[in-house]
Amino acid sequence: MPKCTIDGKEVEFKPGENLVSVAKRAGVEIPVFCYHPGLSVVAQCRMCYVEVEKMPKLQTACSTQAAEGMVVKTQSEAVKKGRAGTMEFLLLNHPLDCPICDKAGECDLQDNSFGHGSEYMRHGEERRTYVDVDMGPVIQKNMNRCIHCTRCIRFGEEVAGIHEMVAIKRGNNIDITTIDGKQLKTEYAGNYSDICPTGSLTLKDFRFKKRAWMLQKTATVCEGCSKGCNMEVQHEGNVVYRCVPRENLEINKYWMCDEGRFNYHYVQDPTRILSPMKKSGDSWLVAGWDELLPSLKSDTATGDVLFLVGTDLTLEEMKSIREAAAAWAPHARIQSFGTPGVETSSLDGPKDTILKMKSKTSNLKGAEKLGIAPLSGVAKADSVVVFRGGRAELPKIEAKKTYGIGVFFERERNVFGVLLPGLSFLEKDGTVVNHQGTEQRLKRALTPRGRCKAIGEILMVTYHPKTTEARV
Amino acid sequence: MEKHLSEKFYQAMKLKESRYPDRKALILPALHQAQAEYGWLPKEVLAEIAQYIGVHEAQIREVASFYTMYNLKPVGKMHLKICTNVACCLRGADELVDYASKKLGIQCGETTADGTFTLSEEECLGACTTAPVMMANDDYVENLDIPSLNQFIEKVKHER
Amino acid sequence: MSDNQQTLFVQHFWNDANRSVDYYLAKMGGYESARKVLGGMAPDQVIEEVKKANIRGRGGAGFPMGMKWSFIPKNSEKPKYLVCNADESEPGTCKDRQIIRYTPHVLIEGLLIGSYAIGCNHAYVYIRGEYVREARLLEEAIEEARAKGFLGKNIFGSGFDLEITVHRGAGAYICGEETGLLNSLEGKRGEPRVKPPFPAVSGAFSCPTAVNNVESIANVPHIIRMGGEAFAKLGKIDKSGGTRLISLSGHVNKPGVYEIQAGSMTLRQIIDELGGGVWKGKKLKAVIPGGSSSPVLTADEIDAVYDVEPLMKIGTMMGSAAIMVIDEDTDMAKLLLRITKFYAHESCGQCTPCREGCHWMESLLHKITHGEAKPSDVDLLVDVAGNIGGKTLCALGDAAAMPVQSFVKKFRAEFDAYAKGHKRHA
Repeated sequence: MPKCTIDGKEVEFKPGENLVSVAKRAGVEIPVFCYHPGLSVVAQCRMCYVEVEKMPKLQTACSTQAAEGMVVKTQSEAVKKGRAGTMEFLLLNHPLDCPICDKAGECDLQDNSFGHGSEYMRHGEERRTYVDVDMGPVIQKNMNRCIHCTRCIRFGEEVAGIHEMVAIKRGNNIDITTIDGKQLKTEYAGNYSDICPTGSLTLKDFRFKKRAWMLQKTATVCEGCSKGCNMEVQHEGNVVYRCVPRENLEINKYWMCDEGRFNYHYVQDPTRILSPMKKSGDSWLVAGWDELLPSLKSDTATGDVLFLVGTDLTLEEMKSIREAAAAWAPHARIQSFGTPGVETSSLDGPKDTILKMKSKTSNLKGAEKLGIAPLSGVAKADSVVVFRGGRAELPKIEAKKTYGIGVFFERERNVFGVLLPGLSFLEKDGTVVNHQGTEQRLKRALTPRGRCKAIGEILMVTYHPKTTEARV
Repeated sequence: MEKHLSEKFYQAMKLKESRYPDRKALILPALHQAQAEYGWLPKEVLAEIAQYIGVHEAQIREVASFYTMYNLKPVGKMHLKICTNVACCLRGADELVDYASKKLGIQCGETTADGTFTLSEEECLGACTTAPVMMANDDYVENLDIPSLNQFIEKVKHER
Repeated sequence: MSDNQQTLFVQHFWNDANRSVDYYLAKMGGYESARKVLGGMAPDQVIEEVKKANIRGRGGAGFPMGMKWSFIPKNSEKPKYLVCNADESEPGTCKDRQIIRYTPHVLIEGLLIGSYAIGCNHAYVYIRGEYVREARLLEEAIEEARAKGFLGKNIFGSGFDLEITVHRGAGAYICGEETGLLNSLEGKRGEPRVKPPFPAVSGAFSCPTAVNNVESIANVPHIIRMGGEAFAKLGKIDKSGGTRLISLSGHVNKPGVYEIQAGSMTLRQIIDELGGGVWKGKKLKAVIPGGSSSPVLTADEIDAVYDVEPLMKIGTMMGSAAIMVIDEDTDMAKLLLRITKFYAHESCGQCTPCREGCHWMESLLHKITHGEAKPSDVDLLVDVAGNIGGKTLCALGDAAAMPVQSFVKKFRAEFDAYAKGHKRHA
């Protein structure tokens, strides 16, 4: 492998790699704004200056490919002056919004100014301002904060495939906007906020809700579809405030869709069933586990029993259902359900040209791996038990007794007789298998709400012969 | 979509289509052709051009707004663009702009109330050896001085 | 000396009728060079002649044209393009306009030979949008050439095809920068590209492309006719062959487009002998030697030979060979404000130093010339220019910084007078 030297350290590199990427591996962080590994290189911000031996001018590291024997300095006086110069230019017109700006604490402009800029302002002229447009329900635009890095324009063009975010006019007056106050159409608009290095593009969903440094971050996987985009859920005090994509070059690269990004809301939905409940006439009553679990056991002891397993459950949950059935209800049929029309992974496929898959559940392949056949048609039996994670779409059910174990909402409860609240994907650890067959770990970020229990626990308590009745 | 551009536009563009390997290269010629017909480029015309080329409307908007010759607002029948860059400045262009402004009763960037004249300052027009120079719509008027500028304006007024 | 100059162009720049193909055939040996090239010269041979001719690019950068053509790959799966840069927007420059309106066929013939040399079958002329009449004249000339069989298929029975398309710009100085031009040709905003890749590898429509100035290409028929060595010898200075068209403007008695053998005259000689000296009996104060981007010279510095290297040696540049003469009554600070306003207006806005810095320099100069600045603001102005020059994606940043640095350095007293309140903008 060819080698070059960065700040005196020898580093190997792959042919074609740029200096930002090579330096990162050597543990040297070169400040950038316009450079993003998932987007084309434009070398516009002029922040990533480095000194390269034998080249008279400073070079932008993002557009300079490493060469054998290249000697690079990232901390020389000339480089420091260059970076300070760029920071000064960027702050000429940038408003001092930090106290009210969502980006504070995770802002590249703040970080680079603190690390490489000057403490003083030499500019006393009037600042340039813009009139903002409403870009729709996802993104909040504040053009005064923009540093014209054009990451958003390139994202729209290169990744989202829709050239709706554009730069109009030229020179100092460039306005980056959608035209005629049109809203962003792309279903990947949330990514604009991730890539914006300032608070110019922020999420309306997150606006003014929580300071970035107060958030705890848990690395998990999105359950929105069978893509399994890697995701980070950001929470505090057991409340989720935001989900952002994590880098995974094999699966989602740096992005995620808006459906997946905002999927977390249902976990905190006030109409989610959080207590064991039973139907009584026209109304629903909260009941005790000790009352409901024995009836589940007796209703599944004989007769035509159907266990419906949502393809939005983890492998571990699916296994525990199968084991429980094998041990205590071997006559029960076990079938999977998920997204209508996408019952098997052969029917699954890309829904768009970017990330979305047709199956709106995260573990369709996992269910197949475990040999669980899909339900076809109506779910008909004497007793039907529906195990569901929150994404699988309920089929038509015709049964004398209908149990729901998992995540359910008030709007759909009337098809059931008993509801036993389970854990959402943010409240459990587990394994899901994405459409490529890659196994990924869900990581618990939240502690269970209300009286929700894990499916495995519910099944053990229901069926284990030694269980005595629990007192409520 | 309602068509604002004429058959003539589409025929003229058709002749150019085979000259470029990429359809997007027709954008600048299309904008020139449409402006020649319309006088300026309203949003509806830009949207129609976007449809003709086959790109998002926003792309046409971003290109049109980059270049100073494309009028995104209506202009008068006679657009006077007086160069005030170095060579013309050295030979008295600023006085000519002041004179035109007073004579027409408008500031730079404005149009006379009757819609006849729009006055602008312009960057170097590339006729520096015959400075001062102005563009009057598509034509160059060179070796400009106050008498000839006055004469020009009067001529246009009378022709209206 | 201005006498005994051998010229190739200006003797035809006097009558509109000279632009016809008939005049070109009768009086200028029209299309004979192209006939010679297509009749039996290999493309490599053509490039060799151009290299021998020592012809520097006449757009402003001065890069040797033969070398530029030799960068185009011989074999390419993609088509190759020759693009003529007729954007001519450097303030002070108006020479290419003369070629296009008076002798368009020498440009067409140059494009024919050049296209053959690099293997291009479709050449573009990117002409600035304001040259409305010139674009039309050029298109008419192209039709004349086509009617005579000098363009189209199987030219001179050689099997070589060529189409030329005139593509009009729309008012953007930055489209004179070769990659900005290519983006504009492709229908995008005329924003310069990151290099590498260079146009020779990926230029117009991602294909290998050579971008050359009008005057450079217009010299090619002459190079073939007289041979590269003879052309080189026309130049009186090392590494600079042929003649140069000079746009002389400003405070001279006889502004105009003149032609001299390269390196044969000093700046002073050009101003006095060709330009008739400073107008109205005034004294000379300053000269901008190569378009507004070039560092200004004082009246004592004009004895340098007017060519690329001698001017570089005294800290300025020949650029687009546009000389602007400035008399003793001129306010240098006001003039610099106007120049800086131009760059701020023409900045494409991509890179930080140019987008923010040019506007800042304009604001500072506005403050200075309106008597609202402190003395330290003049130092600040120079410092800001230093943070722009050499730090930008393309040369417009340098073009904006150099006038500021040179004007303040050489005419500091005028700026200080404003800053100390001794002078006010009228």
